[in-house]
Amino acid sequence: MEVNEQLIRAITQAVVEQLHKNGAQPQTQAEMQQPSSTQELAGRTRMRPKHSYEGAARAVQGTDPKEIVIGVGAAFQTEINKTMGGIPLDEVLRNVKAGIEEEGMTSRVVKVLDTSDVCFMALQAAKLSGSGIGIGIQSKGTTVIHQKDLYPLSNLELFPQAPLMDLETYRKIGRNAARYVRGEKVTPIECTNDPMVRAKYQVKAALMHIVETEQLDPEKGMIEWEGR
Amino acid sequence: MKDFSEKVDTMKRSKRIEALDRRAVNKDGFIDEWPEMGFVAMHSPYDPEPSIKIEDGVITELDGKKRDDFDFLDQFIADYAIRTDRAEASMAVSSLEIARKIVDIHVSRKEILEIVSGITPAKMAEVINCLNVVEMMMGMQKMRARKVPGNQAHITNLKDDPVQIAADAAEGALRGFSEEETTMGVARYAPFSAMALLIGSQVGRPGVLTQCSAEEATELELGIRGLTTYAETLSVYGTEKVFIDGDDTPYSKAFLNSAYASRGLKVRFTSGAGSEVLMGSSEMKSMLYLECRCLYVTKGAGSQGIQNGSVSCVGVAAGVPAGIREIIGENLVAALLGLECASSNDQSFSNSDMRRTARTMLQFMPGTDFIFSGYAAEPNYDNMFAGSNFDAEDFDDYNVMQRDMQVDGGLRPVTEEDVIRVRRTAGKAVQAVFKYLGLTEVTDEQVEAVTYAHGSKDTLKRDAAADLMSADDMMKRGITGVDVVKALAESGYTELAENILNMLKQRVIGDYMHTAAILDEHFQVMSGVNTPNDYMGPGTGYRVSGKRWEEIKAIPHRINVNEF
Repeated sequence: MEVNEQLIRAITQAVVEQLHKNGAQPQTQAEMQQPSSTQELAGRTRMRPKHSYEGAARAVQGTDPKEIVIGVGAAFQTEINKTMGGIPLDEVLRNVKAGIEEEGMTSRVVKVLDTSDVCFMALQAAKLSGSGIGIGIQSKGTTVIHQKDLYPLSNLELFPQAPLMDLETYRKIGRNAARYVRGEKVTPIECTNDPMVRAKYQVKAALMHIVETEQLDPEKGMIEWEGR
Repeated sequence: MKDFSEKVDTMKRSKRIEALDRRAVNKDGFIDEWPEMGFVAMHSPYDPEPSIKIEDGVITELDGKKRDDFDFLDQFIADYAIRTDRAEASMAVSSLEIARKIVDIHVSRKEILEIVSGITPAKMAEVINCLNVVEMMMGMQKMRARKVPGNQAHITNLKDDPVQIAADAAEGALRGFSEEETTMGVARYAPFSAMALLIGSQVGRPGVLTQCSAEEATELELGIRGLTTYAETLSVYGTEKVFIDGDDTPYSKAFLNSAYASRGLKVRFTSGAGSEVLMGSSEMKSMLYLECRCLYVTKGAGSQGIQNGSVSCVGVAAGVPAGIREIIGENLVAALLGLECASSNDQSFSNSDMRRTARTMLQFMPGTDFIFSGYAAEPNYDNMFAGSNFDAEDFDDYNVMQRDMQVDGGLRPVTEEDVIRVRRTAGKAVQAVFKYLGLTEVTDEQVEAVTYAHGSKDTLKRDAAADLMSADDMMKRGITGVDVVKALAESGYTELAENILNMLKQRVIGDYMHTAAILDEHFQVMSGVNTPNDYMGPGTGYRVSGKRWEEIKAIPHRINVNEF
């Protein structure tokens, strides 16, 4: 006789039925009423309801050679309001823009609705920008500085560990982006590294990325976001 | 995500539970199974049932899907990854029967490879689901391609300092790694990193293979120029959407694979559980089933091997129930398909020393072609793959584990004198090459600091902006591996120049492109072809003995009885 899962299940069911007949409270049922059930997510297919971008203005091609376009994620400031490290996204944006302005350049913010991949977001922002330099910021805080003629998965600077970012770093990102526009010899912002970041944050990163990705609306492409 | 924080306010806390709550393992991320979002390791209710239909030699149905409904992965797998002459016979064998054969010492690796060559991805997932972790380890012990297991290092640092890369590469090679991989914090450092790694590796032990993980076009260019000897980060994914998001298809990956192969570079692909979940497109399938699809694509594209075992998405796989079982499971699938398996262990995923060690034992004990596809041969704060599961501070623990269990994990104890010697030579050699080629200056003080350093906290600062301009210039001037050989030869490093020339010759000979190939210190290939794994139970296969056992036994800090 083969002892397989089906057989075990059949036996368990028979035992449970017997217990019921005897008036005993089978343990499995008691456990199922506990809030610690590991099955409660089954059947759910979304994290958040779909946001409507009805009537949003499609982002236009920039012409000002001093302009840097910042492309933010689909859930930015709508479904997600803080980075993975807990920094409010309003503050993130304010600091990046301030950094750009400090170095004499101007900024424009668009929302990218056709991809949630930060490299492609940044490259699309770069292509839209009058200067050819763009910044992509995911809602969880991951950021890339890109240039319009580079390969998508290449970049000028990449900040992959979102939980380590602080506002000063976002400001420096703005400044460095502006320095690339000026064609200067730019010293990249020093890397930071926490080898335990994956253990602490990767599951949260996956959930935040799902929230971002499910808000994509490829028909809309990129929309003007600042001053919406 | 369950926590009991709501109870904290009202309930008097147990000191025992408080002590447990403070344990490192409770800083790790855990999540319930959620098949709709792909948070499920071994089996999703949405995984397809195995099936195949072949008409006129063409697969017209695969795992419940008709050819007209195939996505590009299905089509690629159907056309290139399943032997149609074997399929009917293999699919007729029950999954449980195949699983039992995998564990049965009387059934040879060859016989299993033959059966498995005709089964579909869904059937493969079903076979793996029949095995518990010990059975998977037994399977891996038999199915690994190369007779002797191997190991690979990550060689990186926070400053992207090429001098430290060379020194760590030399020390890593001395410690026994057969392959060394670097990557950068700042991507544009790639030419320097690749060159420094090549030089350093050959100081430590001739014949170590090296690679530089970079954006694909850059990585290919570095390979073509002879600054690297293999490539690993050709990523494949289990769903069409994720492939498209990465601007790729199975066909483009196959083409890239051929591009490397045509220039005589060893290549393996990369895949692993959780990537589709992280990119938000898992199509509600289990991680195991999606990984089976990746491995079939890898096989179909003609790659000799794979780096898999969740790799950089291990935080997700390890977060769900049976995730660590799934990881050894997918390693085994690679071996079952006859692929070289570089079995991950290369990414930190747990705050708990106990848990991270337990996870590695599943590959360490049976042995894989590369137990780690990136053991951090530097302190983890310098690991630019965001931390490996083991790092330089674990070297002695690892050596002791090899000795305790008489297991070959690919490393060996070393002496402090040798470490200092090879680190200094590597630093000096990089200094000489940079000078000869007119690149940025490497000072004596830098070499000295790196020689005695543990990590980049102990080294001097470099002018990153100047380095990046110089690295860019190096690419523009078309500098190749041959220039490195010339620079070394004319700077008095004759033997080292010879070693690097020998690495360049490999790409003409081509033998190291065979499955699971590594080179010994005489540049002789050891692969799954000329040294195949012949394990068939006790008394067969690779056993740690002789010279190698003496080497493993000789850990530092043994009691000297004569001086007791």
